[in-house]
Amino acid sequence: MSDAKPELDRQFEELYRAHLRDVYSYAYYRVGNHHDAEDLTEQAFLQAYRHFERALAESNGRPLRPWLIRIAHNLASNYHRDRGRRPETALDVVEPPSHPHATERVVEGREELRRVLAHLDGLPDDRREALIMRFSLGMSNREIARALGRTDGATKVLIHRAIKQLEESMGEE
Amino acid sequence: MTDAASNFEFERLLSDALHPVDPPPDLATRMETAFASIAELAAAELSNWADELSESEVDALRDPRNWVRPVVAVAAGTVAGGALVLLELRRRRRPSGLRASAESLLKDLRPD
Repeated sequence: MSDAKPELDRQFEELYRAHLRDVYSYAYYRVGNHHDAEDLTEQAFLQAYRHFERALAESNGRPLRPWLIRIAHNLASNYHRDRGRRPETALDVVEPPSHPHATERVVEGREELRRVLAHLDGLPDDRREALIMRFSLGMSNREIARALGRTDGATKVLIHRAIKQLEESMGEE
Repeated sequence: MTDAASNFEFERLLSDALHPVDPPPDLATRMETAFASIAELAAAELSNWADELSESEVDALRDPRNWVRPVVAVAAGTVAGGALVLLELRRRRRPSGLRASAESLLKDLRPD
């Protein structure tokens, strides 16, 4: 019993180190500012710590990233429910990754990325969340399905429709 | 451009737009400190609780017939703790700081 707790803490530390960036990125794209993303990340990991032993026992050796992201997802939903609004500022603050292009191409690229984010904001919540999980966190369909509590097939369709809708809405401009 | 190439291009654009965001370095430091404190405090509280039991109480606890009351007490404590957490969650309109959350977590871990 006395040996179990330090081992559990060690495993939790491993999980935390491996996925801090994932949880923070997800929180950031859901709430749109660093301050609330930090708060949400802290809350997510504290909740995860509280339920870690049970989650580990029930995971049957499967990765715990979907479980962690599900916690962050629920907290972000509560955040928006309490405020009754969607993120306002994500587009202004997120700096696109730098590429080794010429300066004018970088500027053009940034405008295009801002446009993508603006249109992403117009998608229904579930489609937007699935795209954040896929493209920001690199989660597989199966992982996204577990995080959203859907079947693999339904998740595949969700992502496909989300991409199509985004492409069409950008094409209409 | 073929459909496949166009899809690939659009997905690459999405990956760029939604690139991962690094957390601020002080967040990681704050959280690691908080987890270490929680683990240490929880261990210290459990150890104090065990130290407070007399030899005869420890002997009595070895007898399964005496497990009912502690189990009932733990269950009652869990329900009460859960209710407190629920009240706290309802009270909070937005997530508060790490300190408040850590204190709430410690309250749950504390044996009554």
